[in-house]
Amino acid sequence: MLTNAMPYIRAISTRLITGILVFLLVTFSATALSSLAPGSAAQLILGDYATPEQIAALNTQYGYDLPVWQRYLSWLGDLLRGDLGVTLFSQQPILGVVLERAAVTFEIAFLAMAVSLIGIPVAMYTASHPNKLTDKVMRSISTVLLAVPTFVIVVLFSYLFAMVLRWFPATGWAKLTENPVANLWYVALPVLCLSLHQTAYLYRVARNEFVTTLQEDYIAVARARGLPLSYILFNHALRPAMPQILTVMGLSLTYMLAGSFVVESYFAVPGIGWTILSAVKSHDIPLVQAILSLTVVIFVIVFMLVDLGYALIDPRVKVS
Amino acid sequence: MTDIGNSPAFKPGPNAKLGDIVRHAMPWSSKMKLPGATPFEFLAAIFLVLLVLVALFVDFIPGLVSPKLPYGDFSQLPEWSLNGLFGTDDIGRSIFSRVLYGARTSMMIVAVSTTIALVSGLLLGMLAGYYRGIFERAVDLFANALAAMPSTLVVLAFVAVTGPSVVTIIVVLGIFDIGTYARVAKAGVISQSNRDYVLAARAMGATDSRVLLKEILPNLIPALTAVMPTLMAGLIITEGSLSFLGYGIPAPAPSWGGMIASSTDLLSRFPVLIVGPILAIVLTVYAFNTIGDYLAQRLNNRERES
Repeated sequence: MLTNAMPYIRAISTRLITGILVFLLVTFSATALSSLAPGSAAQLILGDYATPEQIAALNTQYGYDLPVWQRYLSWLGDLLRGDLGVTLFSQQPILGVVLERAAVTFEIAFLAMAVSLIGIPVAMYTASHPNKLTDKVMRSISTVLLAVPTFVIVVLFSYLFAMVLRWFPATGWAKLTENPVANLWYVALPVLCLSLHQTAYLYRVARNEFVTTLQEDYIAVARARGLPLSYILFNHALRPAMPQILTVMGLSLTYMLAGSFVVESYFAVPGIGWTILSAVKSHDIPLVQAILSLTVVIFVIVFMLVDLGYALIDPRVKVS
Repeated sequence: MTDIGNSPAFKPGPNAKLGDIVRHAMPWSSKMKLPGATPFEFLAAIFLVLLVLVALFVDFIPGLVSPKLPYGDFSQLPEWSLNGLFGTDDIGRSIFSRVLYGARTSMMIVAVSTTIALVSGLLLGMLAGYYRGIFERAVDLFANALAAMPSTLVVLAFVAVTGPSVVTIIVVLGIFDIGTYARVAKAGVISQSNRDYVLAARAMGATDSRVLLKEILPNLIPALTAVMPTLMAGLIITEGSLSFLGYGIPAPAPSWGGMIASSTDLLSRFPVLIVGPILAIVLTVYAFNTIGDYLAQRLNNRERES
């Protein structure tokens, strides 16, 4: 039992070590970033009208007068204690703000991911009827959709659904915990915009996988035995396609976090993308740094889960 | 091979494929070396060639007004003239002219960022694949770190500290693509370095640098070319998003993302004015993606044959 689990444990621990190294590298770079500020970080934050005393005080308070490595070590210490200080302007605890906003972005990202799963059954249908009209039409649609950047989709959809048809509100927000119905109402358009690209991507990858799989001998055997097509698709064709689908879904999360900047700022959704944009505008460097670090943690965890997913789906995958 | 373009009897009848029509309308098309390309892939290639030509020679287009100076009334609707083709923006500048000059902005960013990424990625990837060991681990770690953040976020972090500038965007976007090129180059070197021709070159006493540059490098080019258009499309999208958010190309310079952002303010009254820049960015990304798919497919076929 334990010998069976050993490769997994070793695989997880090597991934974990790589993940930690990546985290340290990125967060250190994020700390070093503030050294690039013209003058000093405090000068940048306070603007041109600050007195030298104010600048010196802020530099001392945030440690911008210390060497980079010292600042980084104290930041790491703060992180371990779970206290990253307060945001520059609203003076709220950074960790709390970031986690609260991240929850909003996660809600949207997961809903969008759920919507994009529609791509899989559509891919199954068109792959089992290759080069028929639906296949050609869906393929063209997905190719065109992949060429439309999220910010263009956002503009077009908000024009169509919020200004012309008036089905959904263009902006506004309600917390999921306080008013779930209104919350879903407000996230509908952002989720739609984020999922469109993803659906097209997932569809394309899944379709190509299914087309290849359906040419395999064991599928021909299953068909010759008279098994219904839907049974074959779900029970024989889905599993070999899963590693690819999983990769796309892992990548889609990274894509959605990047896409969330545009979507959240346009629809005024108080998520992490919206937060970082306002932090950039107000030069709130500690907040930017915290968000960057959180993103890295999320990405590393997602990639690790995808890797482990491969091994669970396909036992032939070596977990070394 | 009969040249369809030269036969005067060809009429695009009801059964004619788009490919036949393209070949008929552009007889020289059969001379272009795009074996097995569909008509869409062919048109995408032509579009990209035109795009590069526009980016290089936009100053010499006769009759085109400056993209920075007012040309007509504010928010003039499109009309059938060179400068008025897409209408005018909120301060009366010709949107068509700004779209063409925006192509120069986009192509310039794509060209410089890709050069940075390709040269550094190739160097790191080749060294990592050839010498392996600790160097490979370091390059892997670097590539993993780059993959663990969205490039938009990092550009934003830089902008927060240094302010928006074209140089920042180009350099950060360039650095971000290093990871992918390094990975592709590394995989290529690893798969090539045990081939007979490499062993033969070594046996004849070739130095490492000679083996890497003269023997292995030419064989990496197909794989690198195949990933390039897709990464370029990504660059255009990221630059567009940043400019759309107002953190990309600083204001008076024309950029497609910035133009779309400024058109959204007029969207309720003049929705047609947004068509030009959207068309430009969507067609460009489509063309890059299509060519990328074409090259990737060709490369796969080639590898399967060999």
